[in-house]
Amino acid sequence: MEILRISRDVYGREVLQGISLDLFWVFLAAGIAFVCVHALYRWLFAPKR
Amino acid sequence: MNSTTTAGAPERASSRIERHALIDRLFHWITAATVLVLLATAFLPTFGVQFAWVTPHWIAGLVLIAAILFHVVRAPFAQSLRSMWIGARDIRDLLAIARFNLRLTGEPPPKPGKYSLAQKLIHHLFALVLLTAAVTGGLMMVRMDTPWWRRNPYWLADSTWGVIYVLHGLAALLLVTMIIAHVYFALRPEKLLFTRSMIRGWITREEYERHHDPERWRVSE
Repeated sequence: MEILRISRDVYGREVLQGISLDLFWVFLAAGIAFVCVHALYRWLFAPKR
Repeated sequence: MNSTTTAGAPERASSRIERHALIDRLFHWITAATVLVLLATAFLPTFGVQFAWVTPHWIAGLVLIAAILFHVVRAPFAQSLRSMWIGARDIRDLLAIARFNLRLTGEPPPKPGKYSLAQKLIHHLFALVLLTAAVTGGLMMVRMDTPWWRRNPYWLADSTWGVIYVLHGLAALLLVTMIIAHVYFALRPEKLLFTRSMIRGWITREEYERHHDPERWRVSE
């Protein structure tokens, strides 16, 4: 999976086009993973107040 | 400062404490709506949902920039900056929370003032990411035709535009993760009072006494 989108200009030089939008799924998964881990922790392990 | 009891019948006035003024709630929900429109118009076309996304994207962006400017100008005068400041006491709270959650002590951590350390951190993180998205988005508008100016793609060097695009995209991706976490905490049963206060403006006096240290968040009787 690429992190940056890079193209070449008419002179053959690399031009930064932006961040790879394939990373959307990585950030989405990170959010869902955080929610799952926190919910499980609070449900199973966190001390009761 | 908006930490006053709400007006109304005497019994209501004594049992409800205003946590968010109407203008602050409007700012929150306008920001939320514009960010959702911006994310939808940014990402849906990349998933094959084709529509004319550019115009709603930049219009939502301008509304977001206006909302942020309004908040940046208003907040220092109308709200208590101290309530959002992260100080040494917050660090001590963090250590107490860690000790309690690691079961190193049975003593519950101290109650926060108006905002907990977690709430301050998520506010500051949203501020950083939204400002990045707004500034880079504003610069990117130079490259498109609007009712006010003609596009100028040569205003900055290609390499500079590349960095701006990367920062704009990174801010958008971070917002995806942050919104998931923000909505999750807003929907947790023990946090619903804060969600209600962002909708209706108030918490009850019982909730205030249970969740806040009156010395750190003083409200009128």
